[in-house]
Formats: sequence, C-alpha cells, structure tokens
Amino acid sequence: MVPVEHYMVLATLVFFCGLAGVMFRKNLIMVLMSIELMLNAVNIVFVAASRELADLDGQVMVIFIITVAACEAAVGLAMVIALFRKYGTVNTGFLRMLRG
Amino acid sequence: MLWLMILFPLLGAALNGLLLRNASKGVSHTVGVVAMAASFACAVMAYMQFMSGGGEPIVYKGFPWIDAGRFSAPFNIILDRLSGLMMLVVTGIGTLIHIYAGGYMHEEDKTWRFFSYLNLFVFMMLLLVMGDNLLVMFVGWEGVGLCSYLLIGYWYKDDANAAAGMKAFIVNRIGDIGFLIGIFLTWKHFGTISFSELRELIAQGGSTLDAAKMAAIGWITLALFVGACGKSAQIPLYVWLPDAMAGPTPVSALIHAATMVTAGIYMMTRLNFFYYLAPDTMVIVAWTGAATALIAATIALVQNDIKKVLAYSTVSQLGYMVMACGVGGFGAGVFHLFTHACFKALLFLGAGSVIVAMHHKQDMREMGGLRKYMPVTHAVFLIAVLAIIGFPGLAGFFSKDEVLWKAWIGGGPLLWGVGVVTAGFTSFYMVRLLCLTFYGPNRSDHHTQEHLHETPALMWSPLVVLAALSAGVGYLGIPHFLGGNNLFAAYLKPVLFVPEQVAGQWAFLKAEYSHALEWSLMGASVFIMLCASGLAIKLYASGPAPVLETWRAKISGAYDLLLNKYWVDEVYDSWVVQPLRDMSQFLWRIIDVVIIDGIVNGAGQACALIGGLVSFRSSGSMHRHAMVLMIGIVCLLSVLLF
Repeated sequence: MVPVEHYMVLATLVFFCGLAGVMFRKNLIMVLMSIELMLNAVNIVFVAASRELADLDGQVMVIFIITVAACEAAVGLAMVIALFRKYGTVNTGFLRMLRG
Repeated sequence: MLWLMILFPLLGAALNGLLLRNASKGVSHTVGVVAMAASFACAVMAYMQFMSGGGEPIVYKGFPWIDAGRFSAPFNIILDRLSGLMMLVVTGIGTLIHIYAGGYMHEEDKTWRFFSYLNLFVFMMLLLVMGDNLLVMFVGWEGVGLCSYLLIGYWYKDDANAAAGMKAFIVNRIGDIGFLIGIFLTWKHFGTISFSELRELIAQGGSTLDAAKMAAIGWITLALFVGACGKSAQIPLYVWLPDAMAGPTPVSALIHAATMVTAGIYMMTRLNFFYYLAPDTMVIVAWTGAATALIAATIALVQNDIKKVLAYSTVSQLGYMVMACGVGGFGAGVFHLFTHACFKALLFLGAGSVIVAMHHKQDMREMGGLRKYMPVTHAVFLIAVLAIIGFPGLAGFFSKDEVLWKAWIGGGPLLWGVGVVTAGFTSFYMVRLLCLTFYGPNRSDHHTQEHLHETPALMWSPLVVLAALSAGVGYLGIPHFLGGNNLFAAYLKPVLFVPEQVAGQWAFLKAEYSHALEWSLMGASVFIMLCASGLAIKLYASGPAPVLETWRAKISGAYDLLLNKYWVDEVYDSWVVQPLRDMSQFLWRIIDVVIIDGIVNGAGQACALIGGLVSFRSSGSMHRHAMVLMIGIVCLLSVLLF
C-alpha cells in the first residue's frame, strides 16, 4: 500500500502547479484551469486522509467540491466568453479594470 | 342610510374630480347638486327614522380602523340629537349653496375642480359631525381644513388668494396641535377616545373622579379649546377667517359662515360633560368668546368691503356662540349656530349676487341704490339683516336673546354688557351695509350701472328658501316667558349632561328666574338694537352722510385703528412670522448649509482624498492581486499555526 505521505507530496506539487498557473499565466482560460488544478489537489488530500482514517466524511467533501467546481467552471467560462465578446481578448495583461 | 348620506358627497367629488374632468360646467354642477340632494334626502330619512325611534343615541358600527395594543379607534358614527341636527344643517344648506354656486360660477370655464372640492368638503364635514370618536372627528377636522385651503385658493393664479389659503391652513394647524394634544391626553387619562364611552365613564364613575383626573380634564378641555379657537376663528387665531373671503362667495357662505367654522362649537357641545367638569376652562372660553365678539364687531364697523364686513360679523357671531358655551349654555350656543347658519349663508349668498351684479366689485362705497335693480335680492337680504340684528320675531332675535340671557345668569352683568354692546355694534354695521348697498343713490360708474340686473332664478331661488328659514327657525326656540316651550332647548336636553359633582356649580342653569328680569334684559337689548340701527339709517340711508367726514377727522386715530383691524396682522407678522422666518433662515444658512452639509460633504471628500493617496498601489493586474492575496494568506497562516 502506498503510504499517505506520497499522496500529500503529490497534492502539494499539484497545488503549487495550480498556484503558479494562476499567478503567471496570462490566458484567462489557463487561469481557470489552474484553479481547477488547485481544487483537485485539495481533493487528493481529502481522499487520502479519508482512506488513512477510514472515515467517509472526506469523500463526501470531495463530491461537494467537484460539484462546486463544475458550477464555478460554468460561471467562470461564461464570464470569459462575455469578456471576450466585449474586449476581444482574454489576455489578462490587457484587462486592467481594477486599476485604482 | 347614514353611510349613504356620508358617501354620496364623496362619490360626487370622485366623479367630478377623477372621471369628469373634461365635462362642461353644466355636468359638473349637476353632479355636485345631485350628490348633495341625495345626501340631504338620506339625511332627512335617517333623521325621521331616528326621531320616530325616540331620539335615543345610536352608534353605527363601521369597521375596525386603528387597533394598536390597548388603543383602538373603530370607524364608528353616532347619530344623536346633536349630530342629527348638524347633518341636516350641513346637507340642507349645503344643497342650497351648491345650487346657487352653479349660477355664481357661471363665468368660469371649467368648474369640475370647484364642485369636486365642494363635495369633498361636505363629506369631510359629515365625518366631523358624525364621528363617534375624537380621531374620526379629527379626520373630518383636518379634511375640512384642507378643503377650505383648496377653495380659498381656488383662483390660485392671483398670489393674494393663494397666500390667504396658506394663511388659513397654517393658522388652523396651530389650533390643530392643541386638538391633537387634547386627543392624546384624553387617551392617556381615560383609555378611550370614543364620545359615547367617555360619557358612560363620566356618568358611572362620576363620583370617583379624583383630583388628578379633574386636573387632566382641565388640560384636555383647554387643549381642545385651542383647536376650537383655530377652527371657529376665536382670538387669537381668528385672523385667517377675514382673509378667507378671497375664495368664491358660495365657499364663504358654506365653509366660512354656515358649517366649518361652527366645528369648534360643535366639538365643545359634543364634549359638554368634560367642559362642565372644568369650570376654570369655561371662564376662559366665555371671555375669549366675549372678547372676540366685541373686537370683531368693532372692526366690522368701518370696513368697506362687503365681504369683509360679513366676515368680521361671522367672527363676532362665533364669539357669541363660544361665549354661550363658556357659561354653560351649550343649548343656546347650538341654537345660535343653527339660526346663524341660515341667515349668514343668506347674507353671503346675497352679497354674492350683489358682487356678480357689480361685476366683481366688492367695495360698498361704489354700490348703493341696488334695491331698484335687484328687488328679490334686496327683499331676502333685508330679512337676513333683520334676522342677524335680532329684530323681534326673526330667527336671530330668539337665539341671540337666549345667548345673552345665559350670559347674564352664567357670567354676570359684565359679560352680558359686552354681549349687548356687541349686539349694538352688530345692528349698526349690518344696517350700514344694507343702506350702503341697497339704498341711496347709485355710486358706481356708468358701465357697471348699465349692466345692473337681478340674478337668474337659479341664484335667487335658494335665497328665498334661506330667507324663509331665517325668518322661521327662531320659532323653534321661543322662551318660556314669551309663552313658548323652548322646543329647541328641550330637544337638545338629552345631549347635555352635567356630572353630579359639579352640579352645584351649574345649578343656575336649571334655576327659576323672574320673568320681569328676562323682560327687562330683552327690552334693553332690543332698545340698543333699535338705537344703533336708527343711527346707522340716519347716517347712511342716502349714501354716507357728510357729517361722517368731520367725525372721522376728529377720531382719526381710532378710525385708523379699526380700519386696519387693530394692526393685528402686522403685530403677528413682526412678533411671530418674522422671528420664525429669521430663525428658519438661520437654521438653513448656518446650521444646515455650513455645519450639517459641511460634515457630510467633508466626510465624502476625506474618503476621496485618502483613496486617491493610496490608489497608486492598485495596478489593476490580476496576477499581482492574486500574488498579494497569496502572500497574505501565507503570512496569516504562519501567524496562526506557529
């Protein structure tokens, strides 16, 4: 059986991949995908912990997260499309409406 | 039936005001008159039913209106002998005046607004009269004030009319504060504001009223009397009524002579058991009434505007009624209210006919000799004048005599003296008005003279009815010593109720007096009336006598004082209105603009300033935001975890 530490290391790696994507990719779609990656890293932690502790709560949380992630992806993609229609780009370098 | 009576005028107002805005004036007039006539018919039927049932008070349950905790004010109406009489006066005289108004407003383009307001007024007046608790009465009380404002300012394009409307409204508001305080106090101390329940309470717990309750009643009656001062034009709040003559003359007749201004007297009579319990308030009431009667009568002596004379005469007569209430003679007060409604409506409508014939000139110095041109108007006007000066046999004679008699036995010779002097002044100025208008040479210009003619039948027929009433209604109250039964006093007796613990103080109301005293008092007042009328005839019968000029020069100070109405308006202006205005200016320019606006705007500007200072940090880059967020989370977690 694979020890739980391996899962944790994998989850950490996946999480930081996602974080790096959010912080450095310029394409909004890539940013969204990176967010999915971070969520899934969390899922891995939950599932691993669930098996280690023999408790189903973690798996219930995972189902929740998948559902919420699906919703979030739908809304996020819709917003990306709306942004593209309005500005003709999904490059975050050009989308600077938050400037003070 | 009773509800229908109240609702018909509202229906008429709604029809005219909402649906028939483009209708011709004939249609507006018809709707107004039909609504009133239907209401009057209902009133008569309800009244006959009521009297055949013995005349016991009936409370008609309406609907629950305000229920809040222990407080409840259902929308009930009460039919007793007092409200029955008032509803007949309001709807009956109202109908006649509506008919007349069609002729008076003939030159107007559209009259839907006028008849809508007039009907609405009658509706509100009926609410005031019929309401079974103070709050329903207050709705009517405010409603008639509103309609009065709307109708005084009917010709609102003239600034003076609009100002007169506002003056009436604001002066009435001052009185209304008193009325409201009275309602609050009543509820606080008695837990109910229903007339019938209050009466029960006093009747049952009559002997258990402690000193605190008695003091409370003193304040309640005083507060309510302030309200009555506003509505019934008593000193110091009478100033609005003469200005209210800016409205069309039918309005003056209906609202400012016959009905609305009697609301104060009606309210005091309705709560007579309270007023009997507060002898101190009653003294104030009596003397306020007497002072108002005298002062208004002196002002009326020298006025030249025909409607102004009638307006001050109304104030003076209202003073009589209030005085009668103040000495405990509520019956006499209501009797005078009743006769006064008939002859004062007639006087105003007659004056309205004269004004129409004179092409809206109201200065009596330009009139004269109208008897020739307007025989019918002259005849009815003569009856009205004789009625108001108390010529033996006409309505005013009986009611005024009753009031003066009550003043003598209740207030003493001094109060009676004021009343009789006022009666003398009344005779003088009314006969002066009659002479200047209808006798002597005509002093108008050629153009007006050419067009002088009698008014159409639509206008003079209501006058004839009112003249018959002015001549006749007095016979309802022939006093005992003249061989009558004083039916009117007997009729109103069940309404009046002297609680037992003050019965001693008001015992004189029931005491027997020698007929010789009554005869001599009556003789004195008739003698003074005849003297004053004779003097007026001598001075004015063929135009103003030349001797008047020399008199005027001799007493120019007093004359100016009267002509300018004791400068009361000017005094109020400099002592009340100007300080208020200055204070408002101060509040506006200093407190509001500088201080409050300064704080509010300053707060906003400070935020904008700080925002501007720190905004350089926001580049708008999403990635930087995400990075900062991340660093923040890491910092926070490290603090929390380690």
